[in-house]
Amino acid sequence: MDFIGAYSPDNLMFLVEGFWITLKVAAISIVLSFLIGGILGILRYADIPVLSKIVAAIIEIIRNLPLLLIIFFVYFALPEIGVKFSIEASAIIALTVFESAMLAEIIRSGLNSVPKGQIEAGRSSGLTYIQTLGHIVLPQGLKKMVPPIVSQFISLLKDTSLATVIVLPDLMHNAQVINAQSINYIVPIFILVALMYFVVNYILSIVTRRLELKTS
Amino acid sequence: MIKFENVHKHYGDFHVLNDINLEINKGEVVVIIGPSGSGKSTLLRCINRLETISEGLLEVNGVVVNDKKVNINEFRKNVGMVFQHFNLYPNKTVLENIMLAPVKVLNKSKEEAKKTAMYYLEKVGIPEKANSYPSQLSGGQQQRVAIARGLAMSPEIMLFDEPTSALDPEMIGEVLDVMKALAREGMTMVVVTHEMGFAREVADRIIFIDKGQILEDTDPTEFYNEPKDERARLFLSRILNH
Repeated sequence: MDFIGAYSPDNLMFLVEGFWITLKVAAISIVLSFLIGGILGILRYADIPVLSKIVAAIIEIIRNLPLLLIIFFVYFALPEIGVKFSIEASAIIALTVFESAMLAEIIRSGLNSVPKGQIEAGRSSGLTYIQTLGHIVLPQGLKKMVPPIVSQFISLLKDTSLATVIVLPDLMHNAQVINAQSINYIVPIFILVALMYFVVNYILSIVTRRLELKTS
Repeated sequence: MIKFENVHKHYGDFHVLNDINLEINKGEVVVIIGPSGSGKSTLLRCINRLETISEGLLEVNGVVVNDKKVNINEFRKNVGMVFQHFNLYPNKTVLENIMLAPVKVLNKSKEEAKKTAMYYLEKVGIPEKANSYPSQLSGGQQQRVAIARGLAMSPEIMLFDEPTSALDPEMIGEVLDVMKALAREGMTMVVVTHEMGFAREVADRIIFIDKGQILEDTDPTEFYNEPKDERARLFLSRILNH
C-alpha cells in the first residue's frame, strides 16, 4: 500500500474534480427529480380519471427497472432513434427519470397518510380540492415525507457512481483511473473515496434528523 | 330548508338509504338516532354531498344538491359540519384553523377573519386557546374549536356527526352546552347523536332510522314515552338501560 504516492497532489486534485462532477450531477438530478416526482406523485394521488392511471403505470414501469438499464438506454439506445445527449446530460436524464418515479411514490404515500377526515373538513368548509390539497394535505404530508425523501436523495448521490459505465468522469470513475496507475493505490484511494461519499451523505442524514426533530 | 324526496343510496349491493323522505325547516333542531350501520351518518353526510345519493331528489337551501352542475364549494359555504373526530388541522393553530375557510372561501381579510374567529372562540368559551395547537387541547376543547370553525363561515345549517362520541364522559357536557346555546339562537341543526338528554332538551324532532329507513319521525317526548316502532322500542331500551 502506497498512501503517499496515492495521495499525490495530482491524484487528489483529480479526485476532487471527479467529486465535483458527482455533486453537480447529483444536485441537478435531485432538483429535477424532486419537481417532476412531486408533480407525478400529486397527479397519482389526486385520482384524476385516466391521467392518474397513466401516471401510475409509468411510475410502476420505471420503478421496476434497474437504474443501470435506464442509463444504458438513454446513452446508447436513444441515439439509435436520433436523440443524442452528452455523457453528463445522459447521466442526469437517467437519474432524474429513475428518481422521479421513486420520489413520486414517496410523495404519494406521504399524501395518502393524511387522514381522510382532514380532506372532508376542508371540503365541507367550502375549500376547493386544490385549496384543500395546498393548505391542508400537502403541509401535513410533507412532514412525514422528509425522512424518506432525504434518504432517496442519499441513494441518488450514491447511484451517480453507476454512470461510470458510460464514462462519466465522476468520483468513482476518477478513482479507478488512479487505481490503474498502481495496484498499491487501490486501498488508499478507495478509503478516501468512501470517506468522501460518507461525509456528504452523513451530513445529509444529520440535516434530516434535525428537520425531523423540528417538525415532530 | 332541507328536503329529501325518495332518496336512495347504494354501496354496491348494500342499500344504505332506502326511500328517505324528510323535510327539515329553518330553525329546526333535528336529532337522528339509530343503531350503528343504520345509515344515519350517511344520511347526514348526503346533506353537504360528502356522500352522493344514488336516486331521488335532495334539496338544501333551494339547491338541488345532487345536480352535477351545482357549484359545490359555493353551496358548502352555507352548511357547517362538525365531525366525530373533530378533524382539526394539526399543523395549524386554533386561530388558523378557524380563519382558513373565511379567508380562502369568503375572501375575508385576515384582520376581519381573526375578529370573527375570536368572537366565536369567546362564544365556545376558550378564547385563551387561540394560539395553541389542537394537540395541546383536550377533546372537549378541540370539539368546541371545531364548532367555532364551522360557525365562523356564518352557515345557515350546521351538521353534527356524533360530536360527542369520541369524548371522555366528563367533556361531553361542555360540548353539548355549546350546541344547546346554538339551538336556542335558532340555528338549523341536524345532529346524529346518542345523547338522549340533549335530544330531549333541545330537539324539535327525533328521526329514528334503521337499515336505511326512517321508522319514526316525531317529537322527542312522544318518542321516549311510547315509540311506535318495535325496533325503535328495542333500540331505546338498549341505550337507556345500559
